[in-house]
Amino acid sequence: MIRIERLSKSFDALVAVDDVSFDVAEGEIFGLLGPNGAGKTTTINMICGVLKPDGGRVLIGGKDIWLTPKVVKRSLGVVPQEISVYEDLTARDNLNFWGSLYGLTGSDLTSRVDEALTRVGLSDRAKDKVKEFSGGMKRRLNLCMGLLHRPKVLLLDEPTVGIDPQARFNILEVVREVAASGTTVLYTTHYMEEAQELCDRIAIIDHGKILTVGTLEELTKLAGEAEVLKLTGCFEDQIARERLAAIEGIRVLKADDRVAVLSIDADGPGLLAVLPQVLSADLEVEDVSIQQPNLQSVFITLTGKELRD
Amino acid sequence: MTAPAIVRRDLVRYLRNPVRTAMLFSLPLVMAAIFALVFGGGGVDEISIKILLFDEDDSLLSRLIEGAGGSSQADQRLEIVPVGEEGYEMMEDGEASALIHLPKDFTTDYLEGNPVTIEVVKNPAERFLPKVVEEGVGIGGVVLSVGSRIFRPELEQIAEFNRDGAFPKDLAVAGLSTGVNRKMRGLERILFPPLVELESVTLTDDAAVEASDTANILSFFLPGLSIMGILFLAQSATRDILRDREAGLLRHLLTAPVSPTDYLVGKCLSVLLVTALGFAMLVLVGVAAGVDWGAPTAVAALVLASAIAASGLLLLIMSLVGSERQGDALTTIVIIVSSLLGGAFIPLQQMPSFLRTISSTTIVYWATTGFTELIVHDGGLADIVPNLLVLVVAGAAFMLLGALLLKRKMARGVV
Repeated sequence: MIRIERLSKSFDALVAVDDVSFDVAEGEIFGLLGPNGAGKTTTINMICGVLKPDGGRVLIGGKDIWLTPKVVKRSLGVVPQEISVYEDLTARDNLNFWGSLYGLTGSDLTSRVDEALTRVGLSDRAKDKVKEFSGGMKRRLNLCMGLLHRPKVLLLDEPTVGIDPQARFNILEVVREVAASGTTVLYTTHYMEEAQELCDRIAIIDHGKILTVGTLEELTKLAGEAEVLKLTGCFEDQIARERLAAIEGIRVLKADDRVAVLSIDADGPGLLAVLPQVLSADLEVEDVSIQQPNLQSVFITLTGKELRD
Repeated sequence: MTAPAIVRRDLVRYLRNPVRTAMLFSLPLVMAAIFALVFGGGGVDEISIKILLFDEDDSLLSRLIEGAGGSSQADQRLEIVPVGEEGYEMMEDGEASALIHLPKDFTTDYLEGNPVTIEVVKNPAERFLPKVVEEGVGIGGVVLSVGSRIFRPELEQIAEFNRDGAFPKDLAVAGLSTGVNRKMRGLERILFPPLVELESVTLTDDAAVEASDTANILSFFLPGLSIMGILFLAQSATRDILRDREAGLLRHLLTAPVSPTDYLVGKCLSVLLVTALGFAMLVLVGVAAGVDWGAPTAVAALVLASAIAASGLLLLIMSLVGSERQGDALTTIVIIVSSLLGGAFIPLQQMPSFLRTISSTTIVYWATTGFTELIVHDGGLADIVPNLLVLVVAGAAFMLLGALLLKRKMARGVV
């Protein structure tokens, strides 16, 4: 449904998106996971046709968005990262306006607006001005605007930033429902938990490049590791770091003054053999935590840094 | 489909914010009302000069001077209050513009040809009015001095009557009258006909004089201030483009099946509609206040042309700036300066010629001169064709240029 071919974009010397390609199948929830500044929003802006790429192309349903923008945009629903609603209008006014841009009128528009408001739990606040809404309610209204015309493809750019867990849960539920009804979803986030919970496939992006693409299972296998060991203590001197590196069956992914992250080799002696070596290696260790393979450990494996860095 | 949706959205936003909308639309009305009160005098006290007269002489001549203040013209502007010595204290309290002191034996000394002094005490807190009194008394002094020299024998005769205290004899009065009459006849050859005649002319034609009977002072200020008002309206309406841009609303809007051209056409129509509606409202309020705007068709055409020009100008400026803050600052400067130059506050006739030349480069000038033609000269549609052409062509050109610049920014992704 979505085909991205060798997309690239630079802003002066900064390469924001570098030769990005991926496909999203119909009805799939595809996650674009990466830290802030990785190039997720630039990619989304090029996919939805507001930012012209320097190279590459975007095909939605087989049509190039830059060649037939109006046709393609009719099938797209976009939920931007910024809350882009008119605060001096009511929720219903905002949706009426947005619906009219897609040619919805009269009773059709009214019923779609009612349906969308009910879906995100804002029916009872339809006549209130948006400036009176909480951040979470505004986010839900933002989502509503992307769903109103029942798009075939829904692009969501970090739709849960800065909201409470309840509102986040509500938004993720709506996204699941929409996908279940056959809508293709492209979801960008820097929350790995969201990507893990929600997405059928995930692309990890950093510095404008796609590092890897696959299902959660494929990605964790791709990293080729069993567990990740996180040590908190004092690792500021070189001797401590050398002692860590000398331990058999691990790989040091990261070591700074306070934290060391170790990957335990899947074909090595294993956690139970490694842990006593770590604790007896004359290191100042205050705390040890073990992480099961997840996107965080995959990201660390691929980039040497944590997702939030 | 998109342009009407954008226009409707903007109108709904005005309706949802009635206080802001009312304030925006009432600005030119408030300004026009203030101007009318200041310059028209409606409801404001007339300027009058209060003079304290300390008359120690209390004679015929002093009463004549006192009575001069009661003439039909003077009594509208002069208030002469007889006082005693307490008049000096009143002056210290600033209760009058000036005090005139006629000393004891003023009349006797004058009639006998002795030097006399009239004392004028001025109020230092007032700048002009005491000066008017001083000049007036000075002129009176010159008249008395000339009269004293020309009618010296007659005045001495009157002084004699005065000294005697008794009622003068018929023969003496007749002799005095004959003497005065003879001198007046002699003076007649010198005084009449006057070599210099004063004729007061108002620089308007008959039609203007006739029109001025019906048009009140609002007629002179409302058109110019209305144009300034609609420039502010256009400023507010075009500011939304920058707000949309800065808040990410424009970027979101362009993810819908809306091209930059669709958006700009919608915004131009919306700005134009709001501006024209605002102007139409001001015209109606003016009519209610007694302003005769002139031929309705011509007024409607000029209102629309002015709205096009105002919308175009503001759109162009907004397309040149990078942020809402910059836009506000620049447009406010342009609006105030072009209103001042264009004759919204100051009549164009009172400007130096080089300023009038600069003035003609502003849209305010073409709009105000158009309305002046309709209101003051009772002109019709044919008389304001140049004004209409300049306003529409300039407005359309500004609008097109502004839209192109904005479109280019959008295409570059500067949204």
